Amino acid sequence: MDQAIEQILTLIWSPLRALDAFLAEHLPGQETAAIAAYAFYVLVILAGGLMAIGSRNLVRAMLGLILTFFGVAGMYLLLGSPFLAFMQLLIYVGAVCVLIFFAVMLTKNTNEGEEFKLPSPASAVYGLLAFILPLAVLVPLILVNAPNLKQEAIEPTDTSYLGEGLITENVVGFELISIILLVAMAGAVFLAWRRQPDKGKNQSGQNDPAKTKELRS
Amino acid sequence: MTPLSPLTLFLLASLLLLSLGLAGLVTRRTLVGMLISVELMLNGAGLAIVAAAKCTPASDIHGQLAALFVMGLAAAEATLVLAMILVVQKRFGKVTLDDVSAIRSSDALDSTDLAESDI
Repeated sequence: MDQAIEQILTLIWSPLRALDAFLAEHLPGQETAAIAAYAFYVLVILAGGLMAIGSRNLVRAMLGLILTFFGVAGMYLLLGSPFLAFMQLLIYVGAVCVLIFFAVMLTKNTNEGEEFKLPSPASAVYGLLAFILPLAVLVPLILVNAPNLKQEAIEPTDTSYLGEGLITENVVGFELISIILLVAMAGAVFLAWRRQPDKGKNQSGQNDPAKTKELRS
Repeated sequence: MTPLSPLTLFLLASLLLLSLGLAGLVTRRTLVGMLISVELMLNGAGLAIVAAAKCTPASDIHGQLAALFVMGLAAAEATLVLAMILVVQKRFGKVTLDDVSAIRSSDALDSTDLAESDI
């Protein structure tokens, strides 16, 4: 009985051992655990990305996008940038995805709209080309031009240096980003506000039909 | 087979994101779907910047700050695109690109007038 269990365990572990040997042979000098984590995150990114671009239901596409965001956050963790990983989750999953969800819901594009039809053969071919061409051009370029760097271990960054960089030498960029965010939000409110006059009758200056007509033409 | 450096591995991952985003941008019919694809590509850009900063002698802090700026710009872009989608939805009743590309044609304006008279 014990022997049978041992055999089953050996059977289960042997592919993993083979993978381990393969990785140790082709990627020497790197932690096998890091390679395994990298492979896992790439799989997460690939699955999420395929779901995001292929799903006919836009809510599912958004879920695939969230999966991809998690995969990229894992990549940031592997790169020793924990602050970026958490910002990725906070900004993308927390804010951008909610915005996209609003966009999906406000356009009633869940499971009957135009996106629900299968793509035409021509657009599928174009999509395949758009997927393959950058890979075909850039993968050989990256592999051939790989810089011959002496790789040191990737150390996690201390977040306090990031904050220091933001308020000292990068303060202009920091303030510019704040202004851009403010302008973008003001512009969004302005765009959405101008189209409301028909509903809000009690808002002065907005419900003049002639003026509305003028704005629209 | 020569061993792949971590920089190459991370650049390949960001390249995968770029390709997926481009394919989505081409195949999607609605503005919302294209917004999702653009977010994919922006993620790839951020990953490439951080990888280039961490795996080379370049300044680590500057690379991460650049990626943070990319995230801020992506948030601003998503806000604006949401507003544009709302405007297009109100004017045309749908956000399909084929309809919006006819922005100057007369029948599109006629349908807007009809929608106005309904209200």
